[in-house]
Amino acid sequence: MKSLKRRKFTDKTARWVITIGGVTTVFIVLALLLFILLEVYPLFKDAEVVKENSYSVHGNVSALGIDEYQEIAYAVYTNGSVEFISLSNGNVLKKYEIAGLTDTVPTEQEDYPTDDRHTVLPVFLLEERRNDDEGHINTPLHHTTVTSSYKDNNRLILGTDDGKIVTVSVAFTETFNSEKRTITPEISKEETQQIDEKGKEIKHITSRKDEGIATTVVSTADDRLVLKYTEEITTLFGTGEKTEFQKDITGFINQSRQNTIFEPGSPPSGTMKPESRIEITSLALDQFMENLFIGTVSGDLFHINIRDKESPFLQEKVKVSHTAITALGFILGDTSLVVGSLDGRVNVWMQVRDKLLPSGTVLKKIHTLKPHSAPVMAIVPSKRDKSFVTMASDGTIHLNHTTSEQTRLYLHSPSLPTAVAFSPRGNGILAADVSNNLTFWGISNPHPEATLKTLFGRVWYEGYEKPEFVWQSTGGTDDFEPKLSLVPLIFGTIKGTIYSMIIAVPIGIFAALYTSQFLHKAIKIIKPTIEIMAALPSVILGFLAGLWLAPLIEKIFPAIVIMPLFVVLFIALALYLWRSLPSRIKGKYRYGIEALILIPFIIGAIYVSVHLSTISEFILFGGDYREWLLHVLGLHYDQRNALIVGFAMGFAVIPLIFTISEDAMSNVPNSLTSASLALGATPWQTAVRVVVPTASPGIFSATMIGFGRAVGETMIVLMATGNTPIMDWNLFNGFRALSANIAVEVPEAPIGGTLYRVLFLSALLLFAITFIVNTVSEIIRQRMRKKYSKL
Amino acid sequence: MKKFFKTGSPYIWLTACALTVTLLMVGGLVALILINGLGVFWPHAITRLTLENGSVVMGEIIDREPIPRKENEFRTKLKVGNRDVYGLDFMWVENADIASREYPLHALAFERREWGNLYGYLKGLKADGDSKPLTPEELLHLVEEHHTLAERIQHIEKKVIGDISYRMEKYRIAMKRLTSKKPSIKIQEKIDALQAKIKDLEKTYQEKEDMLAGLYTKAMKDEIVVLLAGGEEVSAHIFNIIRVYAPNTMGTLDKLGLYLKKFWEFLSEEPREANTEGGVFPAIFGTIMMVFLMSIAVVPLGVLTAVYLKEYASNSLFARIVRISVSNLAGVPSIVFGIFGLGFFVYFVGGSIDTLFFSETLPAPTFGTGGIIWASLTLALLTVPVVVVATEEGLSSVPRSIQEGSLALGATKFETLWKVVLPQATPGILTGVILAIARAAGEVAPLMLTGVVKLAPSLPIDQHFPYIHLERKFMHLGFHIYDVGFQSPNVEAAMPMVYTTTLILLLIVLILNLTAIIIRNKLRKKYRTTSL
Repeated sequence: MKSLKRRKFTDKTARWVITIGGVTTVFIVLALLLFILLEVYPLFKDAEVVKENSYSVHGNVSALGIDEYQEIAYAVYTNGSVEFISLSNGNVLKKYEIAGLTDTVPTEQEDYPTDDRHTVLPVFLLEERRNDDEGHINTPLHHTTVTSSYKDNNRLILGTDDGKIVTVSVAFTETFNSEKRTITPEISKEETQQIDEKGKEIKHITSRKDEGIATTVVSTADDRLVLKYTEEITTLFGTGEKTEFQKDITGFINQSRQNTIFEPGSPPSGTMKPESRIEITSLALDQFMENLFIGTVSGDLFHINIRDKESPFLQEKVKVSHTAITALGFILGDTSLVVGSLDGRVNVWMQVRDKLLPSGTVLKKIHTLKPHSAPVMAIVPSKRDKSFVTMASDGTIHLNHTTSEQTRLYLHSPSLPTAVAFSPRGNGILAADVSNNLTFWGISNPHPEATLKTLFGRVWYEGYEKPEFVWQSTGGTDDFEPKLSLVPLIFGTIKGTIYSMIIAVPIGIFAALYTSQFLHKAIKIIKPTIEIMAALPSVILGFLAGLWLAPLIEKIFPAIVIMPLFVVLFIALALYLWRSLPSRIKGKYRYGIEALILIPFIIGAIYVSVHLSTISEFILFGGDYREWLLHVLGLHYDQRNALIVGFAMGFAVIPLIFTISEDAMSNVPNSLTSASLALGATPWQTAVRVVVPTASPGIFSATMIGFGRAVGETMIVLMATGNTPIMDWNLFNGFRALSANIAVEVPEAPIGGTLYRVLFLSALLLFAITFIVNTVSEIIRQRMRKKYSKL
Repeated sequence: MKKFFKTGSPYIWLTACALTVTLLMVGGLVALILINGLGVFWPHAITRLTLENGSVVMGEIIDREPIPRKENEFRTKLKVGNRDVYGLDFMWVENADIASREYPLHALAFERREWGNLYGYLKGLKADGDSKPLTPEELLHLVEEHHTLAERIQHIEKKVIGDISYRMEKYRIAMKRLTSKKPSIKIQEKIDALQAKIKDLEKTYQEKEDMLAGLYTKAMKDEIVVLLAGGEEVSAHIFNIIRVYAPNTMGTLDKLGLYLKKFWEFLSEEPREANTEGGVFPAIFGTIMMVFLMSIAVVPLGVLTAVYLKEYASNSLFARIVRISVSNLAGVPSIVFGIFGLGFFVYFVGGSIDTLFFSETLPAPTFGTGGIIWASLTLALLTVPVVVVATEEGLSSVPRSIQEGSLALGATKFETLWKVVLPQATPGILTGVILAIARAAGEVAPLMLTGVVKLAPSLPIDQHFPYIHLERKFMHLGFHIYDVGFQSPNVEAAMPMVYTTTLILLLIVLILNLTAIIIRNKLRKKYRTTSL
């Protein structure tokens, strides 16, 4: 015999354990919600600076760059020397002098001991500094000065004050040694070319190179435009063939002032009056080397088509700004062009298809971003996504995202800036300023493309003619932009739910009404049969819907159209026959077996309509229903469509609605129905006017629960539709629902990525919808229970 | 007539129609699955069709249907097999084109390991570019011989070599763990010992491989020559033949025997040919093991919650919150559980386990990827409400008087619960568990995210320590249906298998549900009698 104390202790412990067990359920629901929220939250978090460092450098920086791991930066000074600087401590790792720019002739490398760099570094003599409106620093020195620069992936093109361009390539090679990463920076000179015969200062450069083909366009101090084209073809025998030419294309923009018509390829004349010249303020060439954009001081943007390098032509001239254009830059993918202007505005323009124009496209402003309060000096695109960095002459640096039209981060350079670089992984910004300082910001900006607007609003994506709702999470190319609008998916969920509810609600409720009120007691077994149907795995329904029903309905579609007519006809026939039967034969089952009697009749109706399928197709649809749907109603017929989902999901929802509303209607107190019948109401009147209103909360709650099931159902919509995220109410085409989308996309979604989190967001939406629906129906059910207890 | 309408009778008929439609849907669905699923393994007669244009085709007649948009014209679907020769398994023949039908007695059906069935006549044994005659009895004998050979090969491949590579992998991981430690003489000794062991294993591995190669040459030696309907001759390795039969000479009993044999094979063997042939044993095994693990997790949780709600929680606010939680848990879409399971169990919990205990194999995940344990836990969350509701009902069936009697005799609340209430409520708990299992067996969407695969290389239970491998991926009947039906390269050839798999899943779910309903009804009856 256990002691009392011990028994009491056991009792207490048990109480605790059981209470904790009860709490666990609440905890699970909370954990579910909390975890999903935690996964979704970073989507809407602002970008933030995680690290900020500052180093001093040795000269005026003309161009900057960072390696992929943000360990090493390089700075090109105006005097033509290049330094690699460690971003962890600011030490100079390597220094190069570029031949042809500095006094020393060959490309030379000096390795600095990291500890005593100050003693080794040479001191440069600077006479004066001047900021031009581009922000490049012109420092007239005794020798050649770098006046402009352009970065094309690894290539760095530097323009000089004596009309030369120097191309160098910068490479960071990573080696792994016993699981430790070492990055070795390397710079090598490619070539020096005298691009301007007159030897004028190169003010702006843009250059692209792809597999031996290079196109470079420069503008000079006297606003001439020079295009240089180089093509190196390596033949099978290994001998290189080089085509090279250069031409002055200034004429295209100067002539446009006189509104003359251009002949493609007409050589632009180099003779022009100095007063009629247009001041060029920026250049941009796309990676396909086809579209050249020229920004001018008047705010006009010239679009010169140089697809045929021999005969370029002016395709378009658009006034994009009221003030001077000060910077141009392409977003990753080179379809959208960012235009920065003197008044600090930052807009994104794109060539939009327009069938009416001969060129087929027209430049349109598609996005507007937060303006700077000073002239925009530089635009640096991200290499990962549609983000870009803009820098204004007052030292403000903005991190923008094109598609979501948001400025994610506002930075401020301590002194007037000269150059800015955006790290290849988009997680760091480096800026140089006039007081020879480098500032590095490590940033965390994991989901710039997700905002409430891009997820739920119309967004103007590249390649689209207008803002639209698009879901397209993966694409073939590296510069593909995921389009993550949840609207088509929500639409798909609603479409599937509505079509299935249209089928399920009437059938479910009528069947429940009949079963509860009229069905003969002897065949009550029907109820558990239908209840078991609720347990049918949805994968079975989906499989049958997708692989059996869909091809079948496609084959006998006309039969489906005429079926309701025949069903009604056959019911009428059954009714007539039943009424004309002598009551002796009707026997003891006088009422309540209608459903069984109808079985052969409905099978008959189905049989007849399937047999008449071909004939009715001729009569109703002129021989081919697909053609008829397409031409008369303009509807496209897919094999796996919303109708199929309606049937299959209806099948899944009917037993739910049936069971709950049948319970509600059976529970209506007998006293009420008996009273009604005693007062002379027919059974039908009693059912409709007494039972249904009394049980209406239960019926409503049944519908809601059915709705919740249909919203979250995954396998049926996954298998019975084509899963195309289109927005179209057409009954005969497919859709993609939120739930199926999760199942389809999760394998493609890397953990922690934007897609991954957006999928969690759609799960949250589903959770929220069903939570609301269930809570409402639960409350209604509880009220109903109270009401009955009073009756 | 107007009077008749006034009685409301027509409307009653209309509502009756809704019930009829529902019943027809249920009946039709079950009938459809039964007919298509049961008929798959029946050995059909081999029909030889001579067409109007003189060509001859031979195979099993699968289907007959009216030609769309043509009155009273039919076409026949013929399973011609011989995928390696024709490229397709099936062919449609318009009935109008058929000149004659025959059922040749010598026509044989060869079930093969690869390329599906072969239909034709036996010409002989292939020998030096020619064929020497072979009687069917001799062929059967040869096939039998090759079967023993195949079993041996399979034993070596699966068991022996599998065992060796498993042990090798273990040693490698152990070595990796040692090398990451601070080097010392002791550790070096251990590493050397391990290396010697691995060397040894490599040697035995090579031996076994050589042995296998020898067996394979032996297996590939015998080929038979088969004459096809069109007159072509093809050769087939006897080793690849699973079974030969002549359906046109078989009686109904023979056919029934073969049918049962094939059905048993389907249940007990592994899939072949990208899941379109063979059996579904790993899927059945995976499903059962998954629901078993799930039950272990869900029963304590569900029962505790139900007991708390019924016996301990007064109608407090907190109890109401628990109730709302349970009913909401029941309504949350399964895919939401799936993505939660993926994020929480797989990536978070599994990832943490990996970094803590399996860091030597990283970045290859052990627990940090989908596995049977995560799938079971996810489904356990999903089925908690089912168990709670059923257990509550079971607890309600225990009359208050009995409980009060127990308390009055001096038992504590827990003792009453443990010795009086729970034993009486067992049927209720059992109902809950069965319903939960039925639900879990049919659920697919959450599994797709948490560890189900189309083809698992090994079962979650095997002969290697610790025998139960909870981190392994598994196969599942429901997912098998989805995968084979929708992701298979040859859906048409796979359809019969999908129907049979569907039938099995349907039977499992229906039987479980029926059992639950029967138990519940008994419980309700008991409840009524005892409460009187």
